[in-house]
Amino acid sequence: MTKNRKQSIDPVVIVTIGVVFLAIAMALIAFSSGSSIAGDASTTSQLMVAFITGLTTGGLSCLAVQGGLLASSLAHQIEQDYVGQVASGKNMKKTTVSHTSSAFPILLFLISKIVAYTLLGALLGLVGSYLTLSPMTRAMLMILIGVFMIGNALRMFNVHPIFRFFSIEPPSFIKRYIRKTAKGTDTATPVFLGALTVLIPCGVTQAMMATALGTGSAGMGAALMFAFTLGTSPVFFVIAYLTTELGSKLEKFFMRFVAVLVLILGFVTLDGGLNLIGSPLSFQNLTRNWFPSQSESNSVAVSPQQPISADGLILNVNNDGYFPTTLKAQAGKDFTLNLITNETYSCARDFVIPALDYYELLPDTGTVQVNIPAQEKGSTLFFTCSMGMYTGQIVFE
Amino acid sequence: MIKKTFKVEDMTCTNCAMKLESLEDTLEGVREINASYHKLEMVIEYDESKLSDEQIVAAVKKKGYTAVVK
Repeated sequence: MTKNRKQSIDPVVIVTIGVVFLAIAMALIAFSSGSSIAGDASTTSQLMVAFITGLTTGGLSCLAVQGGLLASSLAHQIEQDYVGQVASGKNMKKTTVSHTSSAFPILLFLISKIVAYTLLGALLGLVGSYLTLSPMTRAMLMILIGVFMIGNALRMFNVHPIFRFFSIEPPSFIKRYIRKTAKGTDTATPVFLGALTVLIPCGVTQAMMATALGTGSAGMGAALMFAFTLGTSPVFFVIAYLTTELGSKLEKFFMRFVAVLVLILGFVTLDGGLNLIGSPLSFQNLTRNWFPSQSESNSVAVSPQQPISADGLILNVNNDGYFPTTLKAQAGKDFTLNLITNETYSCARDFVIPALDYYELLPDTGTVQVNIPAQEKGSTLFFTCSMGMYTGQIVFE
Repeated sequence: MIKKTFKVEDMTCTNCAMKLESLEDTLEGVREINASYHKLEMVIEYDESKLSDEQIVAAVKKKGYTAVVK
């Protein structure tokens, strides 16, 4: 006995592929260097990092906390559909019903989640803007965010029960309300659930929220959370759909991968904060002297736009950092530091000398002279960009 | 109705607490469950004539966790 079965592409596969390409296309368009949304190159890179974080780790981490909620909502909806089909006499397999009816609610859930988190990002950025974001404040915020992310990663690794306090736990009444809402079967339920997920952010999302707070800008906070949540969507969509087929071992592997990436992000953020306070304990400041070839003083200037002070030192501020990374100066004597930019658009332009409480947004092309007061012999003045990424030092001999 | 606290030390995130709280929808005799990942415990209010401690522990085990009466 043969069965005539039409081979057709599962509509969920089509939607999944569409969501993936749409997310990537939107990200490329929105975050391209020529886009007005992207702004300067440092903003672009920050948003790309948020998007890639979401794409690689956020989706999996979010799924662990929010996926169960979505799955139980879908399961309830599938049960209702199945009961309805059986009652009407239609002979359909439960799995067939689940594939065709789960794609649309998952999509609604994700769209609602993106909108909710974008609004949350705007709110966090707005709150952050009311904080006096001096380099020191920003440094403290980055250190706290870094510690928070590291703690969350150690929690995911189950290193010690004490790290569970690095997770934000909403009150029971909120959890109960969300759980009961998940039982709804109308179209509004996944939309409502998606919005409610702001109350149960996963570990990586919490870290991204802290970063949004640190932007000090409603627009940037919103853009960051939009980029991150958009990045989480394809993975979340695919794995939510496949969630019944994922064994617990595979899920455990993914969560460890997520924990490693959060740990790395945490250390990078913490390191940035340490650079911003001019700490000699940051990774760059500790390891700079391991590579003596980068140390050079009074290096060749690159087409300065104004006369260089005769007793000054020259620091080239390039898109990829400062050159040289180590300057040598005479102790006990004031001197002028000439900061030379030439079509420099990266965050290296936001120049900070933490120990002198000096902060200046340099022109993209030009020379800015900074008076450096006399320093003791053997001391070191660290300098950095405002994100703690690019660093250097002046050694007094 | 009585209120009892169970230690559940193998919870790993907030979602675990939510999974345990969902037992109030399926376990007969339960009025309310409040589970906390931070405290690693769940407080359950239930009708002792309909539900025993052993049944609660078994239901929690089915969810993948280990409950011990505090």
